[in-house]
Parts: sequence; structure tokens; C-alpha cells
Amino acid sequence: MPPRRRTLINIIAGTWAVLAAAGDIALNSLPLPPGSATDIAGSETQVIRILAMMAWPIFVAVVAGLVFTLYVDRVAPDAREFDAQTLRGNSRVQTMWIAGSTTIVLGVAIFGTITLANDTTVPTVAQAVPNTPLEVQVIAQQWYFTYRYPSFGGFESAHLVIPSDREIEFHVTSLDVTHSFWFFAAGVKADAVPEHDNSVDMQPLKTGTYRIECSELCGIWHGSMSDDNAQIVSAGDFNTWAQQQQQLDAPIMKFLPPYSHTYVPAPGAYGS
Amino acid sequence: MVDAVAVSKTPAAPRPLSRTLHQWGLLLGVIGAVLGFLLGYFLGGLGFVDNNSNGSNIQILLAYSLSAVGFLAGMGFFNRLIGSLLGQRPPTLADEAYLHGEGAGLSRYFRLTVDHKVIGMQYVVMILFFLFAGGLGAMLIRGELLSPQPSYVTPESYLTLVGLHSVIMIFMASAAIIGPLGNYFVPIMIGARNMAFPRLEALTFWLLPPAGLILLSSVFLGGFPTGWTGYAPLSDQAVLGMDAYLVAFGLIGLSIMLSGLNMITTVITMRAPGLRFTKLPIFVWGVFITSWLGLLAAPVLASVILMEVFDRTFHATLFVPAGGGTPYLWQNLFWFFGHPEVYIFIIPAFGLIMEMLPVFTRRPLWGYRVAVGGMLGVGVLSFFVWQHHLFVSGIAPALRPFYMFSTEAISVPTGIIFLVALGTLWRARTRFTVPMLFVGAFLFNFLIGGLTGVFLSDVPADFSLHASYFVQAHFHYTIMGGEVFALVGGLTYYLPKMTGRQLNARAGRRQFWVMFISFNSTFLCLLAVGMLGMTRRVISYQPELQGLNIAASISAFVLGASMLFWLGMIVWSLILRPALATQKNPWESLGIEWQLPTPVPTYNFDTVPVTWALPYEYDTGQPAAIPGRTQPALAGGTPT
Repeated sequence: MPPRRRTLINIIAGTWAVLAAAGDIALNSLPLPPGSATDIAGSETQVIRILAMMAWPIFVAVVAGLVFTLYVDRVAPDAREFDAQTLRGNSRVQTMWIAGSTTIVLGVAIFGTITLANDTTVPTVAQAVPNTPLEVQVIAQQWYFTYRYPSFGGFESAHLVIPSDREIEFHVTSLDVTHSFWFFAAGVKADAVPEHDNSVDMQPLKTGTYRIECSELCGIWHGSMSDDNAQIVSAGDFNTWAQQQQQLDAPIMKFLPPYSHTYVPAPGAYGS
Repeated sequence: MVDAVAVSKTPAAPRPLSRTLHQWGLLLGVIGAVLGFLLGYFLGGLGFVDNNSNGSNIQILLAYSLSAVGFLAGMGFFNRLIGSLLGQRPPTLADEAYLHGEGAGLSRYFRLTVDHKVIGMQYVVMILFFLFAGGLGAMLIRGELLSPQPSYVTPESYLTLVGLHSVIMIFMASAAIIGPLGNYFVPIMIGARNMAFPRLEALTFWLLPPAGLILLSSVFLGGFPTGWTGYAPLSDQAVLGMDAYLVAFGLIGLSIMLSGLNMITTVITMRAPGLRFTKLPIFVWGVFITSWLGLLAAPVLASVILMEVFDRTFHATLFVPAGGGTPYLWQNLFWFFGHPEVYIFIIPAFGLIMEMLPVFTRRPLWGYRVAVGGMLGVGVLSFFVWQHHLFVSGIAPALRPFYMFSTEAISVPTGIIFLVALGTLWRARTRFTVPMLFVGAFLFNFLIGGLTGVFLSDVPADFSLHASYFVQAHFHYTIMGGEVFALVGGLTYYLPKMTGRQLNARAGRRQFWVMFISFNSTFLCLLAVGMLGMTRRVISYQPELQGLNIAASISAFVLGASMLFWLGMIVWSLILRPALATQKNPWESLGIEWQLPTPVPTYNFDTVPVTWALPYEYDTGQPAAIPGRTQPALAGGTPT
């Protein structure tokens, strides 16, 4: 190998190491979305961070390889000189590449499965008040979400309000077409499918006001099916609000259908 | 004109009526389409079924279907069938030569012709038309998204715009490489004189213009609100424009299926003697594997479309829970087609860039066999991943780890393509021509597309990224950044062979850099807005994301301008100021297609070569085969 080439390889490898390390250090401290407002949002952020920290060095390595091979050995477009060295393949390199990428894939898949298992079982966060999860039903229809609280007599609310001290169990369903309940900051996304109960658990960690939107195309006003006023509040505030709401809704409770995990929509909801 | 083959001369006898009709096929086709439309509209109005609340969709379905049949009849697709029923003599060699458009000049491009090269050119024009029609939709969408609230488009028209942009692009992309370049070059590369089923090949092309026009006509019927995924029961609820979507998508599915069948049969049965599967050019392998995907996946699309037609027209409630159906049925069947479909887009692009790499690196393809294995692996795995589109749908959570694993596993065979590309480039004396620039850009863009795919395959990360602009940017990186870049590079590479004219290299290089940079700045911004929580297909979005959206829109306009410039280059160099290719083989390729005269004779080969090698022997300079000879031409040739 000519010395110039060796020097170039060293320079490129050094650049790769610096860029990969710098990028990963930055990724490690960047506040990535969706944040840490709930336990599963936190674990999604963590997964995105780890995947990004794995992807970045691979990206830089392949780009460095491309730049090196394309740029360093280039000739002019009309050059007619010929390089006699002919490579047809190298089974050792190929085996290493395939084994390496398979290992990475297996690692990523196992890591994802473990995270998924942790997210969908009882959260490990120490709870101040150990109690049963609060069930909140999300009813989607064209083009808004309604929330029902079965443990408070099944009253309905146009805005989501949940306490920060309890695990929340969302039950998502739809009255007409397929929608998707996306509580971005909470890391919750669940399709709302008519006559299907889609359930997601999460533990809020931070109070605040957040955005909820529909993320499955559901018709003309899909883009407006959002609410910027979803709240995670303290336990006391939540109880005050829920009791107020329950009293307000008391006169109309008899017109609501009894609480159920799915509802049969009114005839004509599908247009035919 | 170097027409080496003289199968026949058109007889001097008076032109038979059938040929006159055939000559005017396009006009008759339009008349047939109108008559078919009116007939269908009349039949549908007879009241076989109740109208649903959206109006009489049986009328519109029958009208569209019969207009497609009428168009094909007018074009002359049923002439032979009717002729043989009426006891006419079988076609003579002269008839066949006429059908191949031999000696017919430009007119052969405007009628039913069964020459695969004519069909390839017809595909070029159609693909460009729909690429730019879909691109116009993209420009309008990006213009609308300059502001976070609806500005010049109503929410209803916006959904139609999104739906049309997506279906047109899906339709264009499913034929973008396999249509023009596959039809033109696969028979040549395998030493065949035509496809296995030339009439079927013409049919797969001529199904598409009616499909495209029917799709575009949906704007007159109120559009369709579902995007390209057509999710039921939203589609059950939609107005009559939905029926245009269903008929058009059905025709597209039929075309993909028939084209797959034809290509598979051609590659298996029509290879020249001596051309083993181990010596097939890598592009032919790509087309061959893609054709299997099309043949196996498109029937599922056709069935699910038919089911939706039943749902809308006969109230079958297959997708409506109130009647015992389920929306998951549509989602499963649609994505069972939909995921192989995206590999139908990209595998021909893999084949194409690996076909071009050796030419510009002057090297054999590094690891030909693993490259074939990589494409095969992608093709097989593509049938086992579709439920990653349903990770948040609430169906079968227990299966999520499996689909996460199978999806991530696809990155192994895809990685092989990168290995082969890097291996071929390693220590090569790469010639930086315009097609080579596009090969490099393909690798860069597809790398980002692939790596962002890993985020989406990981279920917990997908909970946040699913159905956001991150997904949108991810697949634009693979399809626009991958397939369309490969197509632009591939056309630059092959147009000198197809037309004898060359695009201007200096203009091409400038166009490339603008296109490459603006493409990346568009979709990097969209990856970011997706991560920050912007949903796909919305007309209103969070005001705090406006800055990134404006950046994406401006980049998209530059990208659109660069594409228009490219179109202008093609029109300029090919039609206005024809720049004749200075050499027969300007890239000095060893592929058999470049050893033939330009333009390629009607039946390609005078004598089919029987001694074949891989067309990548740049160390010995031995071409894949020598047309017109039956003996090895070079003493130093070492068949592998």
C-alpha cells in the first residue's frame, strides 16, 4: 500500500472516530422528543436516543467509505486509464459484514423486545400511593375526542385531564371510522377502531398542558382533530375537577349510553 | 437506420381494413372509452342495486370499467381474438412485422405495438408525465403547508391533493424502472428477440394510461379522502371519487401482476443458449425478483379492491364492524400487498445501480453472488413484515416482537447491497460521469432511508414516530431519494442507447447538485418535524413547527425546479436540438445492449449469441457476448 494512501485511510478513520464520538456525545445530552412527561414517553425517548447513537456512527462510516472510495480514487470523467487490479469479491469480508449486521440486528431486536415488554407491563416507577390504575376511555369520532371516566360515574369531558400520581389505563375506541389517539408528550399512540377496545397503560411523571391529535387519516377535518389543552394535574386538582365535572354532567347522565369498552355506532355512521 | 433484420417487407397490396383500424387505434380507443363509459353509465342506471347515500356508485364503477375495456378494444387488443373466432387465417410473418412496427417510423409509438423497445419508450413518456403530474401535487401541498392554517386549499381539496399525489406517485414508482428500462433492456440482456408474451406486454402498458386518467378524473367526483392506503371504513363513507380510486388501483394491480408474469416467463424461458442464471446481468436479476413480488402481491391488492367495491356497492360490510366485518381485514390485506409493493419500487433500483457501478469503476461487480442473494433476501423477507404498519392498531400485540425482528432483519440483505457497492468502488478508478453521481446519491439517500427505517421498526420508538412526518420523510428517502435518483441516473445512462442522443453532461452535473442538495434539505426538515410531533396528511399543524415547514417547502420548490430543468434538458437534447451521441457506446460498457447497433434492430439479434459471460470483465475487456456471431470472439476471453 502506497504511503499516501495509508495516510489518507488514517485521516478518514480518524475523522470518522471524531465525528462518531462527537455526534454520540451530542445525542446523549440532547433533549430528544417525545420527552419525559410519562414513563413510556421516557422509554421511547431513550430508545430513540440509543438507536440514534447506534445509527450515527454507521452512517458516518458508510459515508466516509463512500467519500473515500469515490473521491480519493476518482479520475476525470473522460479518463481512459485502466486499473489492472481486479477484485471479484472476498468471502471473508462478506462473511464478516453479514455476521456483523446480523449481530447488530439481533441486538436491536432483543433490545426493542425488552423495552416493549417493560412498557406494556406494570411500570417499575415507585408510586407514592399504590393503587389501581385510573381507567380513562377515549372515544374518537369525526372529528373530536371525548373522554369518559368510569370510576367517576362515567361522566364525559371534551378535554383530557388526568392526575399525575396514578397509572392511567387508556381504552381507545371509535364511533365511526379509524382514528388514532396521539398524546405526543405522553408517548401514547393508539388507533381508535370502531367496535374495538385498544388499551394502553402509562404512568404520568410531570404535570403540564399538552397537545393531543388524531394521527390516522379520518376525513375532511382530520387536520383539525386536535386539542392543545390536555392536562396532567396534581391528584388534588384532579379530584376537584372530576367531582365538579360529575356534578355538571349529572343531569345528562341518563342520556348517555352505559359505560362499555366499545359502542355500536348509530346507523348511518359509515355512510351507507 | 441499420435494420439488420429483413423478416419481411410490408406487401404492396392494398392495405387491409384491419390495419387501417389498427393505425387509428388510439383515436378508436378514445371513442371506445367514451362509448364504454356511456354504456356502463346506462347499465348501472337500470337499478340492479339500491343507490347508497353517496349516489349511484354502480353506475360510475361500470362506466369506468367499461371505458377501460372500450379503450383496449378500440386500440385493437381484441382484434386477434375476434378474428380467430370469425375463422380468419392466423397472422403471417408480415402481420407480425407490422405489429412490431417495423419500418413504421414515429407512428409506431402511437398505436398498439408489441416491440418491447417501442413499449419501453412509451413507458418513458408515460412515467415522466405522471412523475411531473404527481410532482405538481407535491408542490401544491408544500405551498399549502407554508402556513399552519388552511390558506388557498380547502380541507376537502387538500385531502384529494394528498390522495392524488400519493396514488399517482405509487403508480408511477411501481413501473418507473421496470417499465421503461426493464421492458427495453431485459430481452436484449438475455439475448432474446422479444418478450415471452409480446401482446401481454403491450396490454400491461396500455392498462396504465386509462388507470391514470380515471384516477385524475376523481377530482370531478369529489375526490377521495383516504390517501393511497384507502382505509375502510373511511372509504365506505367516501363520495364517488373513491370509486375512481378503486377502478384505477385495480387496473394498476392488474398491470403489475401481468407484467410480473411476463417478465418471469421471459427470463426463465427466453434466455439465449449458454446464458445461465449465474451469468445474468444483475439488473435482470433485480427485475426478475421484483416480478415475483408483483405476481404474488398484486393479486391480493386486486382482491381487497374488489372487496371494497362489494362493501360500497352491495353493502357487503366486509370492513364494517356493525355488519360483522372488521377494518383490520382491509389493513392486513392492503399491507400484505403494500409492503412487497415498496420493494417492487426499490429492487429494480438496486439492480440498476449495481449494473452501472462496474461500468464507471471499470471493475467486475464485487460479490455478484451475494448481491443476487441480497436482493433475493429482501424479496423473500418483504412478505413477512407487513404488520409493522399495524404496530399501534391494537391488533395482535403479541405478534409485535416478531414483526419488529423480521423488519429489522431486512437490513441484513439491504446492507449487502451497500457492501457490494463499496467493494466495487474500493480502489477503483471511478469515472465521475453524471450517472455515477446519481449512483453515489442513491447510496447516500438510501442509507438515510434505511437507517430511519430501523427507528420505525422498533416498536417503542414507533409508538412516537408512527404516522408522523418521520414516516413520510423515511419513505421519500427510499423512493424519491432511492428509486427516482436511480431512474434519473439510469435514464441519463441509457438514453444514448434508446434514442442515439445524449444529455448535456455539464448541465446534468449542475442539475444533479441542485437536486441532491434540495432533496436532502427538504426531507431532513420533514424528518425533524415528524420527530417533533407533526402528523401526516394534515392541513393544519402546530404553529411552532412553521419554521421547519417553510424551510422544507422552499427546498421542495428548488427540488421541483431542478426536476423541471431535467425535463427541459431531455426535451432540449432529444427533440429541440438533438445532440447525437458521439459514440455508439459512450460509456464503454461491456453489456450486450451496448454491442448492438443504435437504434436496436426490431428483432434485436440477427443471430442469437451462444457464448456468454458476465458483462463486467473490465480486466480483459471481453463483452458479455458478441451479437451476430456464434463463436467466441476474443481468444483471451475466459468464460466464468
